[in-house]
Amino acid sequence: MEKKEILTSELQKEFNKCSRCGTCMAHCPLYEATGMEAFVCRGKLELLTKIEKGEIAWTDKLAEIFSTCLLCGGCHYGCPNGVSGEKIIQLARKNMVETRGLGPIKKGVFQHLLNNNGTLNKAGKLMYLSSKFKVRPLMRSLGILKLFPKNLYDLEKMVPAFPKKNFRQLMADKLPQKELSNPRYTVAYFTGCVTQLMNPQVGVAIVDLLTANNVKIILPEQGCCGMPALANGDYKNGLDLVRKNVESFQKEKVDYIITDCASCLGAWEEYPEYLQDESVKELTDKVMDINRFLIEVLDVHFEPQLADGEKPIKVTYHDPCHLKRTPGGKTCPRELLKRLAPKYEFVEMKFADSCCGSAGSFMITHYDVANKIGEKKYKAARESGANIVTSACPTCIMHLADGLQEDKNIEVKHVVELAASCLPKEQQTKIK
Amino acid sequence: MDRKHIDYFISVLGKDNVLVTEEERICYSYDGTFNRGLPDVVLMPEKTEEVAKIMKYANEIKVPVFPRGAGTGLSGGSVPQDGGIALVLSRMNQIKEISREDLLVVAGPGVVTGKLHKAVEEEGLFYPPDPASSAVCTIGGNIAENAGGPRAFKYGVTRDYVLGLEVVTPTGDIMRTGGKTVKNVTGYDLTRLLTGSEGTLGVVTEVILRLVPKPQTKSTALIAFDKLVDAARAIGSIVANGIIPVTIELMDDTTIHCVEANNKIGLPLDVEAVLLIEVDGKAEQVKSDIEDIAEICRKEGASSVEVATDKAGMDRLWKGRRAVSASVLQLGPTKISEDATIPRSQIPAMVVKLKEIAKKYDIPMPIYGHAGDGNMHPNIVADKDNPEEMARVKKATDEIFEAALALGGTLSGEHGIGLMKKDYMEMAYGKVGVDYLKAIKKAVDPNNILNPGKVF
Ligand SMILES: Cc1cc2nc3c(=O)[nH]c(=O)nc-3n(C[C@H](O)[C@H](O)[C@H](O)COP(=O)(O)OP(=O)(O)OC[C@H]3O[C@@H](n4cnc5c(N)ncnc54)[C@H](O)[C@@H]3O)c2cc1C
Ligand code: SF4
Ligand code: SF4
Repeated sequence: MEKKEILTSELQKEFNKCSRCGTCMAHCPLYEATGMEAFVCRGKLELLTKIEKGEIAWTDKLAEIFSTCLLCGGCHYGCPNGVSGEKIIQLARKNMVETRGLGPIKKGVFQHLLNNNGTLNKAGKLMYLSSKFKVRPLMRSLGILKLFPKNLYDLEKMVPAFPKKNFRQLMADKLPQKELSNPRYTVAYFTGCVTQLMNPQVGVAIVDLLTANNVKIILPEQGCCGMPALANGDYKNGLDLVRKNVESFQKEKVDYIITDCASCLGAWEEYPEYLQDESVKELTDKVMDINRFLIEVLDVHFEPQLADGEKPIKVTYHDPCHLKRTPGGKTCPRELLKRLAPKYEFVEMKFADSCCGSAGSFMITHYDVANKIGEKKYKAARESGANIVTSACPTCIMHLADGLQEDKNIEVKHVVELAASCLPKEQQTKIK
Repeated sequence: MDRKHIDYFISVLGKDNVLVTEEERICYSYDGTFNRGLPDVVLMPEKTEEVAKIMKYANEIKVPVFPRGAGTGLSGGSVPQDGGIALVLSRMNQIKEISREDLLVVAGPGVVTGKLHKAVEEEGLFYPPDPASSAVCTIGGNIAENAGGPRAFKYGVTRDYVLGLEVVTPTGDIMRTGGKTVKNVTGYDLTRLLTGSEGTLGVVTEVILRLVPKPQTKSTALIAFDKLVDAARAIGSIVANGIIPVTIELMDDTTIHCVEANNKIGLPLDVEAVLLIEVDGKAEQVKSDIEDIAEICRKEGASSVEVATDKAGMDRLWKGRRAVSASVLQLGPTKISEDATIPRSQIPAMVVKLKEIAKKYDIPMPIYGHAGDGNMHPNIVADKDNPEEMARVKKATDEIFEAALALGGTLSGEHGIGLMKKDYMEMAYGKVGVDYLKAIKKAVDPNNILNPGKVF
């Protein structure tokens, strides 16, 4: 078999530095949950050495092994030799897709649910119908559910009921009213798929928070950040989405680009690398997580009052993998929550910064493993005594909500939803 | 492997604990070295009885069994040879008992060392052996290799803490050695024989480990020396003054430069060596010990002394030492970590010799290690895909071992012989010694089933 060039020369150098020391096993949520060496970075790198040399080919088994990774970066963070496991694995997936195409499951997920705006809406409506009228047979006849392994028939349970109007439709007639005469900043909001389609109240909260703080917000044309496709090796569709987003946002004159999704943030930060275009950095340098923007740039403050006899609501926080290692990624969301006292009381939970197992579409394609990883988290959330578990990544929120759905006294929300609820009543937009 | 055999293993272990695809087996074909060997099947037992059944069956069908913990070994000990069974013990990972009264812990062999540390420390107890791989390596692997670690200077190595074992013999019977008492002279000391036997004499399936009370506090000093000989002499002086630090780690100039190039910690670049010294115990004792150490080192010619007593400060000082192993890779892609060990008094002579060898064969060789107990880690950095260089490496390695033995030392302080050093065994042990080892092996493993091809 012929030798393969899979990695960029820079990553190849890192890859060669892996000494198989095994330290990544202590930092890999998948290894912790499964105890299987094929699922940790070290095992995959050994396999990749053999793929590169042409000693093994992309079989179904190999594809399954490489698909089973959260790209959480835990291995990279823990590696004494600084090997970026998650980037190497992602490029291996690219080679896999180039060699044998996307597997049927992945294809189904991306084409029907996650690929671009149009198809997402169609699938979104379907999901909504399905959860409302229990028309699973309809979905099945349309060939979506058929594509999932058996345990994924639970998918419907996990995806929250779809709202009638998506975020941008909701905001269409409201944003103009929020025109400010002399705004402090103008920001473009990259909404991400989950907020746009499933949790519009998160977007509304952000609009309210920024408007209340005299910040002008615009919503440029946009699609999916590209991460679900890229992460799974589908660079053709992924790069297409990246390019379109960049073009659209480059047209706007803004001070910052904000996002409420840690994964979108991570994707945007890598845009220059994906496009091999340094000039894109000018744009991507403006991207900032909403929590950091509220704390570090706006320095927001709230005056929530407790009514007589009202008790503070206990809130805890889960660190999304793609936020916790960015500047202010761990501190800003916590600081924001602390500024909501006395209405909310922040409590730290155990394992707050360990991966929840959601990893974008991973929780859809690997529902069982994702749940196994999540268990430690669900337990810690219960033990924290909090009534609300918050996070700053919509997929983590979806996954945690799924795992905690039996716990009727625990809600899972985005940090900004709580923050917006502490604004004066007249500054809060009501949505039906 | 014959389907019949696979079916038998599945009947014993269940489907999920028997890995047959090539892709999965490849993930158990290595350890922390560049040795490779593909097993025919990977078995992951959860109970002692399952291990016994596997061993019995392996004897029947005459297929070798290679025990494996986390695969972090640095001598090729767990790497299969010519196929066979990789017996992965990481699923036997329960901590069964922690006793404050008897000061002991009972655990499965697959418990990760770092998790055991945490569990006993939560009870106010302390398990001292701390190989640098603690976050991943297993207690079973530690026992098989008699692992050491930085704390060994004061507290000793794994062997000093093993009270008793449950093992499955190479022929598949279950045996207990030692027990829950510190004193025990009933029969031969099989616990000690099995500790450090590198998985060749039995599969460890349960361990009873001795614990000590957790030390109250600790403190760390980073001390730089213009001259390496001064650093070596200072180590002797500290000990001669009746102070036993937990750790005395040494880094030579090559190592310091590598660390600084990668990390910018602020280590001095114009010195020949730095020592990192840690003391522990009661607060007042720690304070006076670290002051005394600083004083002694200054007298012996230290050019700078920095002391930290809080966690953040200590972490900062340790950061450089932790970065060593990765930083030296900038000198080349393959690191061969030797751990020839010599009596403490011979450290200066050994370091001089090592530098000579590095120069003679033109090979980068950063030297660092647990200087307190003479356990040096000269690291040869090379490129394993460059045969010409690897030939020089082989010659240099030969000379390192010769030098260590000539100075009254030994081939390996803590990593074991495995595949990497077995060619040197006769040189170190003599023919009589090696024959004695072989006789023991033959007596307990007549079919040569358990980890064949290792140690000798
Ligand atoms: C980065 C790094 C740092 C290290 N630092 C140190 C250090 O400071 N000190 C030190 O001493 N070592 C160190 N090591 C070496 C290694 O971690 C130790 O030898 C450790 O004890 C191996 O444990 P393991 O579980 O990985 O065993 P493995 O590598 O899987 O196996 C090692 C040997 O033990 C046998 N074995 C494993 N489990 C059992 C069992 N249950 N019954 C019988 N035999 C068994 C195997 O057959 C093999 O011969 C380091 C390694 C790395 C990669
Ligand atoms: S921690 Fe880094 S060097 Fe060690 S095995 Fe994992 S990727 Fe390789
Ligand atoms: S990216 Fe995360 S899941 Fe994937 S190997 Fe690394 S630590 Fe494990």
